[in-house]
Amino acid sequence: MRAFGLWASVCFLASALLAQSPQKRAASELDQAEALWKAHDYQGANAVFRELVKAHPNNPDYKVRWGRLYLDHFQPNDAAQLFFEALAIKKDHPGALLGLALVAADKFDGKAIELADHALVVDPKLVEAHVLLARLALEDADFIRAGEEADKALEISANNLDAMAIHASIDWLGDKADTPWIGRILAQNSHYGHAYELAGHFFVINRRYEEGIAHYRKAIAIQPDLWTAHSQLGINLMRLGYEEEARSELELCWRNGYQDDPTKNTLTLLDSYKNFVTYRTDTTILKLGKKEADLLRPYFEPEMKRALATYEKKYGIKLDRPVQLEVYPNHEDFAVRTQGMPGLGALGVTFGYVVAMDSPSGRRPGDFHWASTMWHELSHVYVLSATHHRVPRWFTEGMAVYEETAISPDWGDRLDPHVIQAIKEKKLLPVAELDRGFVHPTYPTQVVISYFQAGRVCGFIAREWGYAKLLAMMHDFATNATTPQVIEKELTMRPEEFDKKFLAAIDTETKTIVDGFDEWKKGLKEVAALARAGDNEQVIKRSDALRDVYPDYVEAGNMYEFRSDAFLALNNKPAAIDELERYARIGGRNPETLKKLASLLVEAGRPADAAVALNRLNYIDPVDEDLHRRLGDLWFAQNNIDAAIREYQAVLAWKPVDPAASHFNLAKAYRSANRTDDARDQLVLALETAPGYRPAQKMLLELSQADQGK
Amino acid sequence: MRLATVLLLLAGAARATTFYVTVAGLGGEPDYEQRFSGWAGEIEAILKSAGGDAKIETFKGAAATRANVRAALERIAHEAKPDDALAVMLIGHGSFDGVDYKINLPGPDLSATDLAALLDRVPAARQLVVDMTSASGGAMTSLRKENRVVITATKSGTERNATVFARFWVEALRDPAADTDKNETISALEAFHYAEQKVAQYFESQKRLATEHPMLEDTGKGEGVRDPSAANREGLRAAAFPLVRLGAAASAIANNPEKKKLLANKDQLEQQIDLLKYNKAALAPDEYKKKLTALLLELAKTQQELDQ
Repeated sequence: MRAFGLWASVCFLASALLAQSPQKRAASELDQAEALWKAHDYQGANAVFRELVKAHPNNPDYKVRWGRLYLDHFQPNDAAQLFFEALAIKKDHPGALLGLALVAADKFDGKAIELADHALVVDPKLVEAHVLLARLALEDADFIRAGEEADKALEISANNLDAMAIHASIDWLGDKADTPWIGRILAQNSHYGHAYELAGHFFVINRRYEEGIAHYRKAIAIQPDLWTAHSQLGINLMRLGYEEEARSELELCWRNGYQDDPTKNTLTLLDSYKNFVTYRTDTTILKLGKKEADLLRPYFEPEMKRALATYEKKYGIKLDRPVQLEVYPNHEDFAVRTQGMPGLGALGVTFGYVVAMDSPSGRRPGDFHWASTMWHELSHVYVLSATHHRVPRWFTEGMAVYEETAISPDWGDRLDPHVIQAIKEKKLLPVAELDRGFVHPTYPTQVVISYFQAGRVCGFIAREWGYAKLLAMMHDFATNATTPQVIEKELTMRPEEFDKKFLAAIDTETKTIVDGFDEWKKGLKEVAALARAGDNEQVIKRSDALRDVYPDYVEAGNMYEFRSDAFLALNNKPAAIDELERYARIGGRNPETLKKLASLLVEAGRPADAAVALNRLNYIDPVDEDLHRRLGDLWFAQNNIDAAIREYQAVLAWKPVDPAASHFNLAKAYRSANRTDDARDQLVLALETAPGYRPAQKMLLELSQADQGK
Repeated sequence: MRLATVLLLLAGAARATTFYVTVAGLGGEPDYEQRFSGWAGEIEAILKSAGGDAKIETFKGAAATRANVRAALERIAHEAKPDDALAVMLIGHGSFDGVDYKINLPGPDLSATDLAALLDRVPAARQLVVDMTSASGGAMTSLRKENRVVITATKSGTERNATVFARFWVEALRDPAADTDKNETISALEAFHYAEQKVAQYFESQKRLATEHPMLEDTGKGEGVRDPSAANREGLRAAAFPLVRLGAAASAIANNPEKKKLLANKDQLEQQIDLLKYNKAALAPDEYKKKLTALLLELAKTQQELDQ
């Protein structure tokens, strides 16, 4: 990866420097490398650095500078390698520590703060480390610490433009448009576009995309060759759905040699948009992959409208334009759409009025509840709109998580083992610092835990003070009030006091599972072993009390399924059904298990309940021909003809194994709905595939005879 | 046109015998052992319940030895007549060393070359081999022959992972949905299409790269294709190879002299429908639909009279 290779330029430089002393020659080479780098000749600079490091393998400074070149050239892993090599030569090298902090910061890794602090212990005058700490604090919405760190940088270097840009950003984020800092910056360097670019970055991470875009435009206006800003402008324009201008900006970057991964990936994604189809109504714009559009639209569009209507009433806000929902069949496309890079763990992301999310076909069946994700993201649209995007991350995420289960208790995420462990280890954050858990997590599962905590905080407020209090808080945030200010105003207590009450409530709610977690884990293993041994009576006996210690556990190897299987083996079908109904109610999502429940319910003469069980799968894994056929049959038999038509249409939308029977089923449903022409069309399609298909022939004759009798 | 050919062959098949030989090889692990035997057992049960003039032999567990399979095929070679049909279905693990393919059996394995030699001695003109093991694509070159349909679970001998094709092949034999032309018979081609589609969906839904790609070859000289059709000239013989009959109506009618005229009329209408479908692209959509509907109605009336 380090082979940019410009042998010719190296040869030229080598011959010019041969006559100098080794020290002088090294200094000249370093100057040469820095000059080439400054002129954006990365390959030339790389070649000189390589020779320099080869000649001076024990000099950590050269490695650090070379690493910074890589960092600047979108190669953080190569950069980190050089920083580590520098640290191996000189432990606590401040430049190397700072380099690693910058690498971590670009990945929003919480270790960045620790590394920058460490660098400052070694070299308290390392201005760049203070600027980085200021940036990290501002990313966590900690305006006070950000200002303090920027001041420290300015104490060391009074003309540091980046430190001033931090102050300007603090002012802009606080809606002080006439900040004096930008004047001071431009007085020193009227083409310092990075000042606006930095502010653009903060606006974007605070979901204030329009303002972010405006600042990237300003950056480019005074520094037209600031390609990082062009790229970010393009990516954020795409986020808001301005695809044409986005493409133009990104192509401009590309043509000028700025070809980092987000630019490249986003251009590729824009090319793939020809594979999407867009449906518009007065309130919705739905963008679906062409291959699955016919299948998904009948489920997504009504659900989207239902969510928008519910939120309009609930939040008391009418949106001034349609919401665009983009559904990506390929998860990596969704990730690129979201952050310019593949590898994102999220399921959905909201950019103002544009929501991007995974399609159910982009995940393993049962991995995710698409309707829950949709409701989550659409809640963001309202909260962001109501607060003009001035809302702490914890609050908007908390509201979104709360709404998922408010619409249906079995939606949303269950209490997972990581959260239980975090509660046990007292790892939940104070509410005033909860944003940190989202933006700069310090351990791998902290983001998941922060979602849980934010949702529970909102649930706690709704329960103790009423839902209206959450809406009041939302409107307070619109005024740029901080979390402590809003809590004090609305809940009339200090955040610390709120934390105490909240944590006490969480402890009470989760006491059984937290106290019994270790015993439950041990018990689950025993139950699994008993099931493997076929000792069904013992499976039931051992799991009896354990199941309710941790009822939220519905993942693979859960107690409900062990118990249901055991009851079935003992020929106790009612008990087996009861276990699976509990599983479904609590939020179990395995499609095979839910289908099994439906089959048992049909056998037990409960077709209406079977239809309900299968209908849950429409919100989890609608990419399943068997599901739609079975559900269509159940609805048809129960005379729910509209629902049957939808299911039979879904069968046909996904290349059925048996097209003739699928057309015939739809024809039957159309006929019941008195849509005779549609029924006849479906019969012709059935018979086109299978001309000898007797039931279709019979119905076609009946329709024909009925027509003649008119 | 094709349908008429199929019906003719079905009528002939009614008087002929179909020999079925199913082999479930070594599983290696209890789980696979159970699965392979289970699938072979299911195939046997489906074939037996379908009735007809069928002779069914199934080898699984310790009985699935090369000697037993060889003896069975030698018996069939003596007994079968040219009008008869032979279907061999292999389930289990296979291997391919770059030259020859083998199915793993208790004791010595059976190679594709050995199997081909045994099949060549069987006089039955219509033969079907469904090799559902891993690496079964490696058997294609040895097994392919004129008048023989060869289906493999994998496209080559290098696809070595345990396969899921057999699971869906069994499903095809018992699922009426596999009978896509609704002629109450599941042909080898229909079962192949069904299983191939299900295999693809399986890997798609599991978000896994597909480790098997089923192939069909029935011209005797090709490498096999995943999507047999008139365009690639594969699948014609497979379409005419009835595997499981869901009803005996067609053959019963064919034997009833009173209804021969109606049957001839029906055949003619079916041919006209086939022709119309063939020319679909050349017609305006409304005209096509009108003509098709008229023919389908006529066919439905004829069928109604036949059924009375």
